[in-house]
Amino acid sequence: MLARLAENLFWAGRYLERAEDTARMVDVTYHTLLESPQAAEAEAWAELLDVLHLRAAYEAGHDEVTAEAVTRFLVLDEDNPGSIMAAVTLARENTRSVRELVSTELWEAVNSFYLELRRRDLGEDVATQPYELFAVVKRRCQTVTGVAVETMPRDDGWRFMTLGRMLERAEMTSRLLDVRFGQLVSFAAPLAFHHWVAVLKSASAFEAYRKAYRASMEPANVVEFLLLSPDFPRSVRYCLEHAEQQLARLGDPERVGPARRRIGRAYAELQYREVDELLDDLHPFLDRIQQNVWRVADAVADEFFRHAPDGGQHSLTTT
Amino acid sequence: MSDDLFRDYDHAGFYDEAFASDGQLRPHYRALADRMRTLTPTDLTEREALRDAIFREQGITFTVYDDEKALERTFPMDLIPRIIPADEWAELEAGLIQRVTALNRFLEDLYVGERAAIHDGIVPRWLLATAEGFVREAFGVPVPHEARCLVAGIDLIRDADGTPRVLEDNLRNPSGISYVLENRVAMTRVLPVAFNQHRVRPVDHYGSLLLDALRNVAPPAAGENPCVVVLTPGVFNSAYFEHAFLARQMGVELVEGRDLVVDEHVVYMRTTRGLARVDVIYRRIDDDFLDPVVFNPDSTLGVPGLVAAARAGNVTITNAMGNGVADDKAVYAFVPDLIRYYLGEEPIIANVDTYLLWDDDQRAMVLDRLGELVVKPVAGAGGYGMLMGPTASDEEIADFARQIEEDPRGFIAQEVVQLSRQPTLVGDELVGRHLDLRPFVITGETMEVIPGGLTRVALREGSLIVNSSQGGGSKDTWVLEDDGRDSGEEA
Repeated sequence: MLARLAENLFWAGRYLERAEDTARMVDVTYHTLLESPQAAEAEAWAELLDVLHLRAAYEAGHDEVTAEAVTRFLVLDEDNPGSIMAAVTLARENTRSVRELVSTELWEAVNSFYLELRRRDLGEDVATQPYELFAVVKRRCQTVTGVAVETMPRDDGWRFMTLGRMLERAEMTSRLLDVRFGQLVSFAAPLAFHHWVAVLKSASAFEAYRKAYRASMEPANVVEFLLLSPDFPRSVRYCLEHAEQQLARLGDPERVGPARRRIGRAYAELQYREVDELLDDLHPFLDRIQQNVWRVADAVADEFFRHAPDGGQHSLTTT
Repeated sequence: MSDDLFRDYDHAGFYDEAFASDGQLRPHYRALADRMRTLTPTDLTEREALRDAIFREQGITFTVYDDEKALERTFPMDLIPRIIPADEWAELEAGLIQRVTALNRFLEDLYVGERAAIHDGIVPRWLLATAEGFVREAFGVPVPHEARCLVAGIDLIRDADGTPRVLEDNLRNPSGISYVLENRVAMTRVLPVAFNQHRVRPVDHYGSLLLDALRNVAPPAAGENPCVVVLTPGVFNSAYFEHAFLARQMGVELVEGRDLVVDEHVVYMRTTRGLARVDVIYRRIDDDFLDPVVFNPDSTLGVPGLVAAARAGNVTITNAMGNGVADDKAVYAFVPDLIRYYLGEEPIIANVDTYLLWDDDQRAMVLDRLGELVVKPVAGAGGYGMLMGPTASDEEIADFARQIEEDPRGFIAQEVVQLSRQPTLVGDELVGRHLDLRPFVITGETMEVIPGGLTRVALREGSLIVNSSQGGGSKDTWVLEDDGRDSGEEA
């Protein structure tokens, strides 16, 4: 398929995932803090900015960290390419440019999502009914994904879109663990429980976790679940496995290309890990995962988008 | 609202597609009228709502974007189809094939042949050289099998006597075929019973006809399985829907100029697996934007080196470059002579009577009668920049007289043709509205005309302007397998 269109589909997948993950994280942070001591607030929002790698961008435009300012920054600030509004806009631009490759249903789902956000007064929503707003964003994102699953043929276009989504999700989940883990293990027990629930909820994993581990809220279990679960669709391992499967079908069947080789290695590293080996050195490990994901994305661009008109320097991207 | 939609219809003295001058329904419309009579106003409203839903769902819309939102408008399809009986269509089809055959010969003669029509004095060299669509760079660029007008859209009208005439030729990038196909799909869903009561010739094989024709013009070296692409200016072009539609119908890639690259006079597209050779480009961008090396150097829509690759015979660009010379309305006036010259036949479908203004006698006569005539710029399109003599003010007439004196080559004058009318649903009433017909002619191994074509209807009362940009709509066009003479009696 045309390299330009493949690249746009890849980024459409990434931006949709980014919008959804950002909504989850802001939502959970916001609502967890309602039940937490006041002092923890600024710290928690600063952590969230770290998770999203947006602290520097935020501080460039803001003097202090407040719940409202960070929420606005992450929801509706279009100068922030990581904001939900910006991500949805870019997802729509990318989808529109591949209009004839995606199903009509998928385009309509993305477009009506975008139009709904444009219609809403997001500033007002953030101030008065954030819960409803985040519910809308999450539901819309899930609708888009569901429509894609049900209406897209499993062709190369589908694979590039899924690859983008899985890489973005792997990165987001590992960032979530990375920033929260260091903080959380040091918290006192009752508070820690609360925060582990928040971490799991950020990844839509709370219910699934409880099914797997019952009521116990051990840090090791949470890390194991979000990092190593072979079955939970937001775990890093699951995402890498599925990204690898897409690459296996996209590349030259005669040889293993650089992108696939890289992701295969990252996956293998998770596949036979035991969580106990990881806990002591979690940060360097997560850091390596994130760097691996970036390298995979670079290798994908080099292998598949190099022939695109702007040579893999995608014009509808920002980070 | 009458209980009989058709009873109170007033043809008002115009030639009407459905009613004879004595007010009787023409035989081939009787079955339709009988069926429509059984529908209540509520039925009609429901069916119009269904039609609108079908068009919106399928995204068959013109889209206007601004920063805030997307505005989408449909190209409205009237519920009452236009019906053409088999014998009438056979005549039109023969006339269209004759005309496009001659035009293909003429363009081949002009751009890669001996220019015999010029040497033999059929059409003056200076006239062609001053046509806006004349393209010097097209000299020597081959198109296999003389198929220079691979897709031609010939606009037909009927005059006051009901005689069909060619209003203009569109040999560059005629658009509208997507509406023909989508109108048919919608019609079979909205009025299935009426449709089934007629034996209507299908149109849905257009995509495969077009693909066959495109493969037919692949360079000889392309081999058994030539690579065909559709070239579009991009999503912001108002006809993008049609470009994507055609690519989908044919199952070929829809590319933009930046997806193509020329190396050593060979055209490639940039794919995820590297560069892939392209053999035939069905381009839906204008000549001026094709190749910044030879045309508009500021254009970012085209592909540098494309024209040289085509001249080298490594890729076929179609429709061919330079076809616009024959779209010039003064050159149009010579098409009947070109038919006689190349084919030795009398034209089956006449032109509209046209006056050439560089001729002193014709110009004097036209200036004398400006208030009765239509004046059109030779390169105009879309109904813009015209003078409608009978409704024009004295100032407008004086203004055109001055323009004609200054640039007699720049305009033509024609007798006013009252386009035929047809019953059209406006509100819950049937009223007469003017229409034309754009059939599509494909030059493949054989020449094929898709039965019918795009019927455009001027929805505003009394208007003769059918263009979508100026309040036009469309009708599904039914070409019958038979003459439709008996279909009224059965019902």
